[in-house]
Amino acid sequence: MGREKRLPDRSRRKFLKQTALAAAGCAFAPPLLLTASAVHAAQLELQGVDIQAAAQAKKLAANKDVTLTIMEPSGSLGNIKPVAERWSAATGIKIKYVEVPLEEIDQKMMLEAISKAGSFDLALPASFGLPDLVTSGIVHNLDELSGKYQPPGYTSDMLYTVGNYYKGRLYGYGTDGDTYVMFYLKDWLDNPDEKKRFADKHGYELQVPKTWEQLDQMMAFFHRPDRGMYGGALFRTRFFIAWEWWVRFHAKGYYPFGPGMKPQINNDAGVQALAELVAASKYLYPGARSNGLFENFQAFGQGGKFCNIGWGGTQKYLNSDKSSVKGELAFGPMPGGVVEGQFLSTPYFNWGWNYVVSSLSPNKEIAYLFTLYAVSPVESTIAIRDQNGYFDPFRKVHYKDPWIIRTYGEPFLAVHEASMANSMPDLYLRGHGEYFDALRENVQAADVGQKTPKQALNDAAKRWDKITDRMNRGSQQVQWDFLKSHYPPALRNRLKG
Amino acid sequence: MAGAAARATHSAGNHITERQDLMRERQLREAAIQEVGDEAVGPSCQRSGRYGAIARTIARRMPFEVALALPAQLTVLAVVLVPTLVVLWLSVTSWQPTQGIPWYKAEVVWLSNFVDLVQDADFVSAVLRTVFIVVLSAAVELFLAIGLALLFMEDWAWRRLAVSAIIIPMMIVPVDAANAFYMLFNDQGPLNYILSLLIGRTVQIDWLGDVHLALVPIILCEIWQWTPLMFLLMLTGLMNLPENQIRAAAVLGASPRRVFMRVILPLLMPVILLSLIVRSIEIFKLFDPVYIMTQGGPGNATETISMYMYHGAFMFFRMGYMAAAALMVLVVVITISAMLARPLMRH
Repeated sequence: MGREKRLPDRSRRKFLKQTALAAAGCAFAPPLLLTASAVHAAQLELQGVDIQAAAQAKKLAANKDVTLTIMEPSGSLGNIKPVAERWSAATGIKIKYVEVPLEEIDQKMMLEAISKAGSFDLALPASFGLPDLVTSGIVHNLDELSGKYQPPGYTSDMLYTVGNYYKGRLYGYGTDGDTYVMFYLKDWLDNPDEKKRFADKHGYELQVPKTWEQLDQMMAFFHRPDRGMYGGALFRTRFFIAWEWWVRFHAKGYYPFGPGMKPQINNDAGVQALAELVAASKYLYPGARSNGLFENFQAFGQGGKFCNIGWGGTQKYLNSDKSSVKGELAFGPMPGGVVEGQFLSTPYFNWGWNYVVSSLSPNKEIAYLFTLYAVSPVESTIAIRDQNGYFDPFRKVHYKDPWIIRTYGEPFLAVHEASMANSMPDLYLRGHGEYFDALRENVQAADVGQKTPKQALNDAAKRWDKITDRMNRGSQQVQWDFLKSHYPPALRNRLKG
Repeated sequence: MAGAAARATHSAGNHITERQDLMRERQLREAAIQEVGDEAVGPSCQRSGRYGAIARTIARRMPFEVALALPAQLTVLAVVLVPTLVVLWLSVTSWQPTQGIPWYKAEVVWLSNFVDLVQDADFVSAVLRTVFIVVLSAAVELFLAIGLALLFMEDWAWRRLAVSAIIIPMMIVPVDAANAFYMLFNDQGPLNYILSLLIGRTVQIDWLGDVHLALVPIILCEIWQWTPLMFLLMLTGLMNLPENQIRAAAVLGASPRRVFMRVILPLLMPVILLSLIVRSIEIFKLFDPVYIMTQGGPGNATETISMYMYHGAFMFFRMGYMAAAALMVLVVVITISAMLARPLMRH
């Protein structure tokens, strides 16, 4: 309905703009101005950008049989398909889906970079893999196309965009707000007896913790395994464990790299953060070291665990009928720290899927227009509504959609929106996987007692140094400087390194 | 004598006929080649005419049987030799697809990958861990297989059904078997539940998350799935042993234990060694249970060489480094196989 109303307005504006440009062209007719006006005429308007993108794509595909192939991580089809079907209806351009396991999509794209088979036009890699994919040559740079089509203000209500860039150049559009959020059992937090006992013991009120120190104390307080109560369900498996340490470390006031890209993860703050993580493991449920992502959802959804860490997808599960803690949760941002007497908040964006265009696609321009269409305010809202898909809110408009509010619940969305707006970026460097694997392996080795925290972080730092050298220190420094400049100002001004 | 002479004459006659046939065949072949060549050599295709002449020369000089086998031989060469040469090349480069350059333009680092690998604690521990798993699993599988095979030597009721039941695990897809063991050894899984019932108090052993225990489910999964194969090999071996020697030993008063140790086992040794070689090579490639159950963790407590190389090659795309690792592993596997094969040669 709303869309039908917008159409005449847009046509009128477009007509006026094109008339003015034509008049200017006739009056002066310098070739440069003509070129500029042609580009400007193609640029879309924010209002109804999806419809305009579809119309442009339809024009480009006229008299051609175009099919766009999307390589997507398994489980995200529920998000993509409703949007793709609307696109096909509007443009006549067919969409083919290639579904790959979610943890393998970046690998499949890298293999495509080697084989150059041209098996997809668009893909949805994890945003942390973008630097490697860009340097492999498989991802098409979107600067030119975005200059041509992207309307002004298109990204202004997006809460997190740094994952779309590599060294300041645009390579994709994030379509999933994967910031970390904390989940707590509300009953336990609000229980008057527990509140009194906790306040007597620790001298402050039992409520959603602000710092890691408070969280660790609450986990220890609630950990009563003989009564089936556990302090938490935080991840201790290899793939996830380093992310928690990452936030604990930042909350102590340091960047992971110092001057000259020298790792400072093994400084005293890092070692202390790891020692605290290891100590907190005592208060977790027994499956924490072996359960993967979905087992973690299920374990926390059964109740009996004070807290958990997760994303919007976690809330989709916990707020569904599959979970016995539905409606019984309190939410909080990632705990922060106290640095030089002042509180330091450290929300963290650490996953997310990005629409990217394959450099091997014969239809790059149409593929780009699809990304513009799919990530537009209207279409991305439709995508995020899917109860079982991965995509989470990332535009301000998403938080006002009644359907999305019903799916996630208002209390969760309030915390999520604030976290998204202030998230520090993930380590978007070439070799992200290697950096993080070195960290994961060593953090886990410390957690299971194979190494001391100092040994573990020294080993990780040594490997980081080698990786940086291998990846070219100077080149990594350029991207690291770019990343540092995109930390939220509240963090940027206080982190050392 | 006359008969022998007649046979010789007849044989010589046959020989002449064969030679005549061969000559006729060659003439026909040359005529055919000439015909094709003449068609190919037109005024507008002198180059193809030149190639046609070369082809004719080769065809004339090449024995017919060689010409028949050549395509297959070239295919095998391409399939085996080309990848080997690529791996050799990559092993002396630092190539990663993330560099955005093709593999044949990779920077040559000579032997530094090999030097780094020797100093890479993760690689060395992955190799040693894999060797430990190979030795333990193969030994337990062999022990169980011989025991089971001896049980099945006698004919008894339901024997065939029991054999069918025993070999079921090896027909299961390895990923499914690994998944089953993952569920079984989960901290909330049936094993802990059964142990709790037996002991009378709650048991929550974190099998897969404990650095000292995590290899146990992986090795048990491997043994459970592949003992049946070893069992079949042993059973076949035992059933084909010469009965005379076993009977003779029994008649001469040897105890069953002595018969087994001094007669059956030595006779069975070629089968045992061959089975050990096959299984060792297979276990060396162990991947599915590790990937499904622990992903190599906790820490790197269960990282086998396959898992190490999977991480390196397909998660971090260090193709050059992993090509060098693959060559070093190849040397280890060949060494182990040669050690096992040496007694086999004697047999």
